[in-house]
Amino acid sequence: MAKMHKHRLLFAKTGRACYISHLDLMRTFPRAFLRAGIDVKQTEGFNQHSFVSIALPLSLGYSSVCEILEFELVGDTPLCEVPARMNAVLPEGIRVLDCYEAQVPVKQIAALRWVCRAQFDGGVPAGAGEQFLALFDTDALVIQKPSKKAKKGFTELDLIPLIHSLSLEERGSALELTAVLAAQNPGLNPELLFSTARERCPLFRPDFVEFHREEVLNANFEVFR
Amino acid sequence: MDPRLNRILPRVQKPARYTGGEYREIQKDKRQVDLRFALCFPDNYEIGMSNLGVRILYGVMNNMDGVWCERCFAPWPDMEAEMRQAGIPLYGLESGDPIGTFDFIGFSLGYEMAYTNVLNMLDLAGLPVRAAERGEDAPIVVAGGTCAYNGEPLADFVDIFSLGEGEDVTVEMLELYRKGRQLGWSKAEYLRHAAQIQGLYVPSLYDVTYHEDGTVSAIVPRDGAPEVITKRIVQELDDAYFPTDTIIPSTEIVHDRVMLELFRGCIRGCRFCQAGFCYRPVRPKSREVLVQQGIEACRSSGYQEMTLSSLSSSDYRQLEPLCDELLDYCGEKNINLNLPSLRADGFSMGIMEKLQRSRKSSITFAPEAGTQRLRDAINKNVTEDDLLQSCRTVFEGGCNAVKLYFMLGLPTETDEDVVGIAELANKVYLTWRQYAVSRARGIRITVSTSFFVPKPFTHFQWEAQISMEEYQRRVQLLRSSITNKSIIYNWHDPDTSFLEAVFARGDRRLGPVIEHAWRSGAKFDSWSEYFNLDRWMEAFGACGVDPLFYTARERPYEEVLPWSHISVGVRPAYFWRERNQAYQSVITPDCRVKCMGCGADRLLACGVCDAPLTRREREEAQANG
Ligand code: SF4
Ligand code: SF4
Repeated sequence: MAKMHKHRLLFAKTGRACYISHLDLMRTFPRAFLRAGIDVKQTEGFNQHSFVSIALPLSLGYSSVCEILEFELVGDTPLCEVPARMNAVLPEGIRVLDCYEAQVPVKQIAALRWVCRAQFDGGVPAGAGEQFLALFDTDALVIQKPSKKAKKGFTELDLIPLIHSLSLEERGSALELTAVLAAQNPGLNPELLFSTARERCPLFRPDFVEFHREEVLNANFEVFR
Repeated sequence: MDPRLNRILPRVQKPARYTGGEYREIQKDKRQVDLRFALCFPDNYEIGMSNLGVRILYGVMNNMDGVWCERCFAPWPDMEAEMRQAGIPLYGLESGDPIGTFDFIGFSLGYEMAYTNVLNMLDLAGLPVRAAERGEDAPIVVAGGTCAYNGEPLADFVDIFSLGEGEDVTVEMLELYRKGRQLGWSKAEYLRHAAQIQGLYVPSLYDVTYHEDGTVSAIVPRDGAPEVITKRIVQELDDAYFPTDTIIPSTEIVHDRVMLELFRGCIRGCRFCQAGFCYRPVRPKSREVLVQQGIEACRSSGYQEMTLSSLSSSDYRQLEPLCDELLDYCGEKNINLNLPSLRADGFSMGIMEKLQRSRKSSITFAPEAGTQRLRDAINKNVTEDDLLQSCRTVFEGGCNAVKLYFMLGLPTETDEDVVGIAELANKVYLTWRQYAVSRARGIRITVSTSFFVPKPFTHFQWEAQISMEEYQRRVQLLRSSITNKSIIYNWHDPDTSFLEAVFARGDRRLGPVIEHAWRSGAKFDSWSEYFNLDRWMEAFGACGVDPLFYTARERPYEEVLPWSHISVGVRPAYFWRERNQAYQSVITPDCRVKCMGCGADRLLACGVCDAPLTRREREEAQANG
């Protein structure tokens, strides 16, 4: 394993930037560092570029206010100047919120808090929320997850141990789910909650779901930085 | 952004193509904007954003007060289907507003196979595709780019063709529009006035009549439109806008790097090359300006790659000192400097060795023809010696892959020329055997052939294209002549080149064919997964047009060509003279060795092509005594 990067950026990815893929983001940041005139440790080899890594890639289309990018400053740019200088040269919707020295490795990220907005164009059907919560109020819920690696074409996954908490609130014609889910090894993409619910809850058929990553947490469910 | 897009975008491939919001996208306050322009590229985002012309015009227009120029690319068919289903019209990436409400829609036409996308984009914008059916309130539809020089096949759909370099004429066109609005002109009145601006061609002001045999009998202007429309050029490139502060896409595009244009035009005069003649005369930029712009473009983009892009970059007079100065900066910042379009000569090889920071494993040359006789006929001044010497240089440097590009079907080509390609490739192989630093890794020589398309405004504009069957026969002949296992042969399918040959020298009777093909589903024709020749043949049949009339027929000098009323500055008599030289296999010296009086110098205010010093350099030299 590579040793820990020295510095981190906490950044938000919202609005039109939600559709920038993880790979594209990995190209965007090195260029932005150069535009901002911030010297960053480079990769080795022929095509050198800033050595950055982004913890827990976000799915395309999701928004987030708690993305973590690891890198290493090599120049004498004060950390406090980094957010403003980067924000001046980043695409719309990518905003650096903080820049700081890393304390604990990102592998200690244990959970993520998500806010997911399930939109029902015809209004929320009575009982839909209850049905959703009841589905996950059980000791085990094994689903088949498509997998290219597995011989059968899918793997089995019990969702319950990966769900730390769920709460629902009705807002107009939408149900807003706040969920704390396992972050890695394995992590749980909130989309799986909705696809499972769509299959198993007759009342729960939202027309569209928006996913938002709200906070990164450690094993004690404290904010991770 | 239209909120409905949030539901669609997660489902389509590469959604970042459709969002805008990139760094340096131009946003303007609509209250301060009185003229809105949709700059459209009839292919996908990745290709359109790689086009330097689009970036230049975007900058030029947005630098005008009150003008907001937005970008628009052809949505990939998955996105198109979603947009049509949801009833979302084509929108500008910057504002998300439907472009059907803008004042202008401008297309950049780089290749004929994009024509159906032009119609498709107009339709997606909610507009009738035919200019005559668009009302007073509909945007003015403009088209520029290489294909606009013979835009006749699109004459039914386009209001104005902009010929040549758009930096100045676009500004004049928009200013005239404002004036017309103040004076309450109708669209027709505006178009009549626009036709008086040099470089703007309004096809509806010209009546085209035909002989019984289908050839054009006359092209007659109306309402005071000029008899000949001459293209525009930028007089002093040093002073022209260059996009050092351009949009940086958030998703990977085809040319994801700084493109530094060293000069416009080409001194060479290869007889098949449309770009070579359409961009005459050569106008260089000062070295000092280039260094400054190159550095600024890298600094402000964060790109770590820069390409020196011009038609034949090694012809830039001060290439070596330019590269040295750029390398001073690039080396320090870990920026790779590339020089594509390499000539096979010692000078170019020297520069290349200097540029590359590590051993180059592969190199590309385009001798275009297999024998010296044919290379002389097409005026491609590359000798076998040059080529083999260049190969020797790169083999000695450890290179073990060579790509060689040729055309099949060039005028005067014989079987001997076809077999000559195999022989030349074999000589490259033998050169490798003799000079390779190590033969352990083997060599890969790739020979590629394309199907020659005669283009307007070249010496070969009167020639017939060989038939697809004959092309296939020559392909097979070449295939059977290549026996060496280290030589790989790739050839292009002839289908698209055949269609290209129809449209490149087409006339207005092709408009209905394009419309018919588009209505039966043609789009993205330059993409093999969407191209379907049968659909096109069906469209020709339905419209009673014979494609062979355009491809298989050699034209006599006296014939009125569909583009006879357009001038790129080069005299038709010069083209004809050079065509006859081709038949004698007589080469013509390049513009630096001897001016052949093609006529392009008349476009220049100073009257001197390819001046050894730019105005800026002359002034500096004077100031320094
Ligand atoms: S060198 Fe020949 S092929 Fe290349 S741009 Fe010039 S004229 Fe065209
Ligand atoms: S006028 Fe002479 S120098 Fe100028 S482009 Fe024509 S041939 Fe070349």
